[in-house]
Amino acid sequence: MKAWPRELSVGLALAALLGALAVFAPGFFAGPPLLSLAAREAPVLLVACGAAMVIVCRQIDISSGSQFAVVSVAAGLLAAEGWPPAAVAAAALVLGTTLGALNGLLVAGLGLPSIVVTLATMVTWREGLRWWRQGAFVNLPDGLQWLGLDQTAGQWTLIAAALGLFTLLAIASRHLAAGRHLYAVGSDAEAARLAGIRPAAVTFGAFTLAGALTALAALMNVIQSPQVDPKSGTGLELKAIAAVVVGGVAIAGGRGRLAGVLLGLLLLATVAPALTHLRIEAHWEKAIQGAIILLAVAAERARGRPA
Amino acid sequence: MIKPVLSLFLAGLVLLAGCGRAPDSARDAAGGGKRLTVALLPKSKGNAYFISCRAGAEKAARALGVDLLFDGPTDTDPAKQNEIIENWINLGVDVIAAACENREGISTALRKAQARGIKVITYDADALPDARAFFVNQATPEGIGHTLMDEAARLTNAEGEFAVILSTLTASNMQEWLKHIRARLAEKYPRMKLVAVRPCDDQKDKAQTEATTLLSAHPGLRLLMNICSPAVPGAAEAVKQAGKAVRVKVIGLGLPSENRRYVKDGVTDSVILWKTEDLGALAVEAAVALAKGTLQPGATSFRTATGATYEVKGDQILLGQPFIFNRDNIDQFNF
Repeated sequence: MKAWPRELSVGLALAALLGALAVFAPGFFAGPPLLSLAAREAPVLLVACGAAMVIVCRQIDISSGSQFAVVSVAAGLLAAEGWPPAAVAAAALVLGTTLGALNGLLVAGLGLPSIVVTLATMVTWREGLRWWRQGAFVNLPDGLQWLGLDQTAGQWTLIAAALGLFTLLAIASRHLAAGRHLYAVGSDAEAARLAGIRPAAVTFGAFTLAGALTALAALMNVIQSPQVDPKSGTGLELKAIAAVVVGGVAIAGGRGRLAGVLLGLLLLATVAPALTHLRIEAHWEKAIQGAIILLAVAAERARGRPA
Repeated sequence: MIKPVLSLFLAGLVLLAGCGRAPDSARDAAGGGKRLTVALLPKSKGNAYFISCRAGAEKAARALGVDLLFDGPTDTDPAKQNEIIENWINLGVDVIAAACENREGISTALRKAQARGIKVITYDADALPDARAFFVNQATPEGIGHTLMDEAARLTNAEGEFAVILSTLTASNMQEWLKHIRARLAEKYPRMKLVAVRPCDDQKDKAQTEATTLLSAHPGLRLLMNICSPAVPGAAEAVKQAGKAVRVKVIGLGLPSENRRYVKDGVTDSVILWKTEDLGALAVEAAVALAKGTLQPGATSFRTATGATYEVKGDQILLGQPFIFNRDNIDQFNF
């Protein structure tokens, strides 16, 4: 498999960074703060999985950050209305799936370019939210945080849920017919169609699944604090897409694994706290993350395929 | 399909514009009567911040015996602000006090008002200097920086490490405030040390993550100073989750409403802002004085009808030092 060297190099970069931290700032590995950080990144993993599905399908979704904010605020308002957590979660999932399906409908149904469609939905949801909520926080009822568990148990539950779902998706994408269809449509839609696959249905499915995963991610973030910030999720789409690209998923579609996405996310998400621990100025953060993305794309190019 | 929708939309706009026209009788009433009419423009009229400004403005208007108009966009919308000013020009109000969403965009409309003999001041957010006589400035960067640093020193006995969380490293207001924080630190508090400055991209969630990392990277940290509003509750949640509410103080610039629960829980110690009611009241006081001619360009101080005195620096009337909200007083404020 040609994909392995990429995951290996991302893994090595991550190991080097963790090694540097172990030597120069062992405080990074202190249990409770590290657990908190992992819990805070867990939702991003789900969004990145959704982004990976869409990109494997040779499309892109830049509206996930706005979907995340809309679902967060809606879930918060329903919870504040007194809805039980299970009903809030169900409603949030329906909402996120619908938002994803709308992207899918416009892209797969009308054949519009996904970058334009999701740019439009990204701006529409974000600005709509601004108009509706005026930037006001939503105060959540007591007892919703950590779903009533104690903090440590809540954090472990979130991490386990994210990793469990990730594993399921990783297996499904490799071994289920629907998963393999994503790759087929992403590498050559026409050939896939001749093989009896319906590219439009697969594309629609990818966007819809991405919406559902984003909704789940939003819920996993909402329960980590007692207030919802309507600006939450700003830039989340870029974080997710960056993890996908660094993880070795070809932006031209058809290639890449979720295992790489997990490594890519871990690498990118470690940069910011690593700089704080190593006492390096925050100015460097974006530059280093940018350099990692650039390296990943250049590596793709060096392998003789368009990144 | 597109065209009928568009024309319907345009027709709607024309209708709306028509409704916005004021009847001529209103102009006569405003111009002919002895009572002054002050028009107060918020950035957005539904926002709790400006609702609180309005309460102060109404109190001042009652005390001064003037009529107060309060109108603004329902959401922040610079074009709608211009529309409302055009409307007030047609109405013939005596003086306009505006909080400007778009500095350049609104200035044309404000100049037009001045050309028609309407006095103009700005408050909260300024227009271009030639489009108004005075700007009622709620807080100077120096005042904000010094208040934050002094409060940090008070809470930590002027000793130990602290970190700053701001919106972005490039935002000009953040840089300006940080400059004054550093200057005050260097000048007055030699035993305090600023160990890290981290951006939160103006998001509460990111601030929570940043604060979590800061607490573990700097075990000696005594205080988190948050100079953008979403960072205050974000940092407070991180401190609470890390179980360090007693050892690590949390202060910042923010709205009382977003921080009430942390202030009451004893996690956040001080929230710093100005009293919005006083800002609204001062805007009306200054507007009326300008219309009556008792406040002239070149003044160095402004004495209100109720006897309070404010400093005037150039063409800016200063509200004074920021106000500190804490456990004892936060329940008196609902914005």
